[in-house]
Amino acid sequence: MAFIEVHDLVKEYKVNIRNKGLIGSIKSLLIPEYTMKSAVDGINFTIEEGETVGFIGPNGAGKSTTVKMLTGILVPTSGSITIGGLSPYKDRKLNTAKLGVVFGQRSQLWWDLPVIDTFDLLKYIYKIPENIHKSNIEHFSEILGLDEFIKQPVRQLSLGQRMRAEIAASLLHNPEIIFFDEPTIGLDVVAKEKIREFVKFINKERNTTMLFTTHDMVDIEKTCDRMIIIDHGKKIYDGTVEEIKDTYGGNRILSVEFGQNYENILMSGLELIEEKGNKKHFKFAKDDFQVSYLIQKLSQQYEILDITVQEPEIDGIIREIYQGGIKLNESLSGVC
Amino acid sequence: MNLFIIFYQYSKLSLKTMLEYKFDRTFITLAIFFREMISVVVMFLILTRFLHIKDWQLFELFFLYSFLFLSYSLFIFLFAGIRDFDHMIHSGEFDRFLTRPLGLMFQIVASRVDYPATLGHGIVGIILFMFTASNVGIDWNIQNIIYYIIALIGGAIIQASIFMISASFSFWTIRVENLRNLIFFNSRRIAGYPISFYPSIIQKILIFVIPFAFVNYFPAQYYLGKEDIELFWGGYMYLTPFVGIIMFFIVYLFWKMGVRSYSSSGNSMY
Ligand SMILES: Nc1ncnc2c1ncn2[C@@H]1O[C@H](COP(=O)(O)OP(=O)(O)OP(=O)(O)O)[C@@H](O)[C@H]1O
Ligand SMILES: [Mg+2]
Repeated sequence: MAFIEVHDLVKEYKVNIRNKGLIGSIKSLLIPEYTMKSAVDGINFTIEEGETVGFIGPNGAGKSTTVKMLTGILVPTSGSITIGGLSPYKDRKLNTAKLGVVFGQRSQLWWDLPVIDTFDLLKYIYKIPENIHKSNIEHFSEILGLDEFIKQPVRQLSLGQRMRAEIAASLLHNPEIIFFDEPTIGLDVVAKEKIREFVKFINKERNTTMLFTTHDMVDIEKTCDRMIIIDHGKKIYDGTVEEIKDTYGGNRILSVEFGQNYENILMSGLELIEEKGNKKHFKFAKDDFQVSYLIQKLSQQYEILDITVQEPEIDGIIREIYQGGIKLNESLSGVC
Repeated sequence: MNLFIIFYQYSKLSLKTMLEYKFDRTFITLAIFFREMISVVVMFLILTRFLHIKDWQLFELFFLYSFLFLSYSLFIFLFAGIRDFDHMIHSGEFDRFLTRPLGLMFQIVASRVDYPATLGHGIVGIILFMFTASNVGIDWNIQNIIYYIIALIGGAIIQASIFMISASFSFWTIRVENLRNLIFFNSRRIAGYPISFYPSIIQKILIFVIPFAFVNYFPAQYYLGKEDIELFWGGYMYLTPFVGIIMFFIVYLFWKMGVRSYSSSGNSMY
């Protein structure tokens, strides 16, 4: 049995058709009228201990809903979840003791008080032994650079500083599993990088299991071994980032700076996609042509100053998947 | 034991927050104090000029009134979280509680202590109590002191229960604070006078529906034994703690139902 097991998970929201006013509200309470809206629609996956999984999908795909079910905030409409053999909502107290949860859009820090005060409170809430609490704070401060603002009231912190404190707060009790729901939202590159490093470090050092939702593919590439893509509440991909690049990023971009402005460069396999004077960009299918062969052919016929080959951008691939431009095949997505 | 420590830690942070805004919170405390004192003064004027309530002396009436302030102060000290519960749902704070290894009601109650309101009402209550307690012929022996404390706690729980009913509605994202305030504060105002003074329908409402009679009238009668207690069953005088406990228990079931509904429907605010 895997550490986290999710079977046929379904979440349907009741969307109330509300009547106006108090009488209407009471009527809606007594005789509810509603439609069902399915947010998660039969998802299966398992996560092993120590795995880091990126959980992505377009807005409204059902990521946050899934995270809420995994953390015990919401009860599934049907299907099952077990985490280390426990049910997140039936065994809420037992389960949450070993969970860490970071919501990028929410704060758990005391707004008017210094960060350190919330850290202290968490010591009592999670019954963290004094020495572990202390060494964790020291440790986290060092990596996340909390020292410069740990004594400042939270309301005075920048978003990036607050997020770093937020993440530290969620990890003080050495959780076995951490759920991140968009922890890097709105952060600059440096702050993002710090958080990614920290996440990776914790995973390495403590073998912590992690699920990470984000809209930034760099987060996934840098921190996760595996990614799950969902759309409209259904899982459409489950595998590594590399795999998806290999399969769907079959094209490469060849950028060539020529010695002079040639008209109509014709060569089988190369498709011109952009040109700026002497600089031209071609697309080619990497499985059909070898780069060395193409370069050789080109240099035989033309004068070349500079040449680069680019890998496909994961963002572009994901975008195409979301827009339906790429249909994932079933064997790859592991849907069975 | 552990819960006491956590509760203490929470109230320490609330206190720190208050000190963070010393000026503002002092001002709020004073504002509440004067607002409530004005109601006391108005009552005093009415009672000395226009209104004579059969058999009740001025000190006795203010002794009756003091229960309202002291038990409200205690209620706010212990249960401000229930008062502010609406906000916890809408801000997502309640979701955070669900991800922690502690009871939900405990976290709601522990996470808020409203010192300004506690003090504002509490000081009015203490002033009234000091002026009246020794002038209304009560023998403050140990038994009377203990029942006094129990009655205050019971009264606080009754008021908490009323607030908790309205809090539970937020699970269905129905806002009823305004209705609650209307009902609660008017009942409280009415309960400022002996309920025997009112028509029978109002007496029944204050006993059976919004049981403010158990917050002040019946416990006060336990001490004063005024003649008009004959109108009611004598046992009521001892019932305050039981009414509190039973009411809280029933409301707690309703609240539980709300939690269940919440976790199956989610918070439509987010
Ligand atoms: N409490 C709710 N009541 C009704 N519908 C809801 C509720 N919460 C979410 N939904 C709907 O369920 C769907 C999934 O929402 P969810 O928040 O899980 O998406 P998401 O993948 O996290 O999106 P995003 O990337 O924008 O955060 C959306 O269509 C949303 O409108
Ligand atoms: Mg989301």
